[in-house]
Amino acid sequence: MNDRNLESKDLSIEVADLTVAYGDKPVLWDIDLNVPKGILMAIVGPNGAGKTTMIKSILGLVKPAAGRVLILGKPYHKQRHLIGYVPQRGSVDWDFPTSVLDVVMMGRYGALGWVKRPGKKERDMALEALDKVGMKKFSDRQISQLSGGQQQRVFLARALVQEAEVYFMDEPFQGVDAITERAIITLLRELREAGKTVVVVHHDLQTVPEYFDWVTLINVRRIASGPVDEVFTDENLKTAYGGRVAFISHRKQEANEHVDIGEDRE
Amino acid sequence: MNPAQIEIQLIAIVVAVACALPGVFLVLRRMALMSDAISHAILLGIVLAFFVVKDLASPLLVIAAALTGVLTVSLVELLNKTKLVKEDAAIGLVFPVLFSMGVILISRFAGDVHLDTDAVLLGELAFAPFNRFEPFGYDIGPITLYVMAGILLLNLLFIIIFYKELKVATFDPGLAASIGLSPAIIHYALMSLVSVTAVGAFDAVGSILVVALMIAPPAAAYLMTNDLKWMIIISAVIGILSAVTGYWCAHIFDVSIAGSMATMTGVFFLLSFFLAPKRGMLSIWQRRSRQKWEFAIKMLVVHLSHHENLPEAKDESRIDHLQRHFEWNKDFAERVVRRAEKSESIITVGDIMELTDKGRQLAGESVVK
Repeated sequence: MNDRNLESKDLSIEVADLTVAYGDKPVLWDIDLNVPKGILMAIVGPNGAGKTTMIKSILGLVKPAAGRVLILGKPYHKQRHLIGYVPQRGSVDWDFPTSVLDVVMMGRYGALGWVKRPGKKERDMALEALDKVGMKKFSDRQISQLSGGQQQRVFLARALVQEAEVYFMDEPFQGVDAITERAIITLLRELREAGKTVVVVHHDLQTVPEYFDWVTLINVRRIASGPVDEVFTDENLKTAYGGRVAFISHRKQEANEHVDIGEDRE
Repeated sequence: MNPAQIEIQLIAIVVAVACALPGVFLVLRRMALMSDAISHAILLGIVLAFFVVKDLASPLLVIAAALTGVLTVSLVELLNKTKLVKEDAAIGLVFPVLFSMGVILISRFAGDVHLDTDAVLLGELAFAPFNRFEPFGYDIGPITLYVMAGILLLNLLFIIIFYKELKVATFDPGLAASIGLSPAIIHYALMSLVSVTAVGAFDAVGSILVVALMIAPPAAAYLMTNDLKWMIIISAVIGILSAVTGYWCAHIFDVSIAGSMATMTGVFFLLSFFLAPKRGMLSIWQRRSRQKWEFAIKMLVVHLSHHENLPEAKDESRIDHLQRHFEWNKDFAERVVRRAEKSESIITVGDIMELTDKGRQLAGESVVK
């Protein structure tokens, strides 16, 4: 199966001919991508492959040189209320003077729109989301006192209160402990069960077959995209990670290892 | 106090608070230097507008200055985007160009008006009450007071109305953009406010001291609280305190009021730097010292419990043994023992130490952790 023969009504994300360049250096080159509804998808590729840029250009945060993006059939700016975004944890200043609850409530700001203030409803939603990620007792905590895993949970809670249909998460597993990683993946699965689409920039090839049901491999160009057991092959990984000799040797090994694991399970 | 003194202090207070409000967001956005750039570059806007309207009190000057401020920010960003120049260098390149153009224009074409470089750099608060606001012939106070009160109100309204937007655009611009609360709009609105505030305050305190009033109170408040609302309030209070104490210092020592006010913002910053609860230097030192002793006591009780009831216990529990075991010097070892005794973790019999129940419990907890 290939993502190209999916029908439009079943798609949550449609990307066509997406090209992004910084100056004359293409970061993403003519990407086509169709993501069906209700799946958990990983975006993988070597460093500098354009994974974060791809999410950012789908979200309109980076201006593409060419291409068209549709979310649930409409352009992004018409669908903002249906989209949840979790940036990289390191992209914000955790010394900012604010509390955990306050950060989670920011997830409601989009629904509130300009000027309108968050109230009791937003507060309750935020507390509920914090409860879900196991952080309720930290709601009054200053964000500067959180550990890396706790920061990530707060970001996730914030995404939950966005009540989106399509979620984009940039390396949510980056630098979190094993327990938090479990908690996050459980949560992502719950979102999928609820019919949401979750797109995750992911670094750890090892866990791709276990965590995700759909995968997109990119390295500036799209290498492959589709169900993990069809697309996450040795050959595709070689194409995606090839050329980076120093980097590839252990990665390839890793990739081989769990392609094996994948076959064992079948 | 005579009326002029009261008026000067009122102006000083209003200027200080008006500067502190947008300053909070400059500090949080790590854009403190931008206030320096803007406060200088707006001179060009003021001079150009003055050539057009030939009136120093015209509101057009404020608008022109605000536009120059935004121009400064845009030029810095443009230069920075080329990636040939880093942001701090870009700031250092842009504003001196605009500022020097202003200075040259003044010296060449405006030698005979009250727009000299001294006034630009330092301002003169003492002269502010001479310019009266007299609608329909009634004198209702100095013009500067009304201009600054208007700017203060503008800043206050902006922060109150767009509080949520300012917060999210400052903390997480990526999220703000993705939910449609454009951080670019907030950014340029804030920069315009900084420019308007700078041009208003400029007349009273000059361009250099505007920077002190914008940055020092928020930087001090940042150390004192973990809540954005309180940071804004404390910044404003420090601004007021700096204005009043600065005025009276200037009065007593017969020096420049603006200079004295700026000095006081520095004094308040230093006070906060050393004395702020939790984040101040004093509290950091105290915490470090406490941790040092607590850890030493823990090491001691763990050591004692390790050898307790064993044949070597007598040797291991002697005070003079500690120096060998921990590489503590004699003095430090004795002080640790005193403190451990005081906290009832150990008792000493002669020079032999014995664990108390409390000590045993502490040792257990320390090892488990």
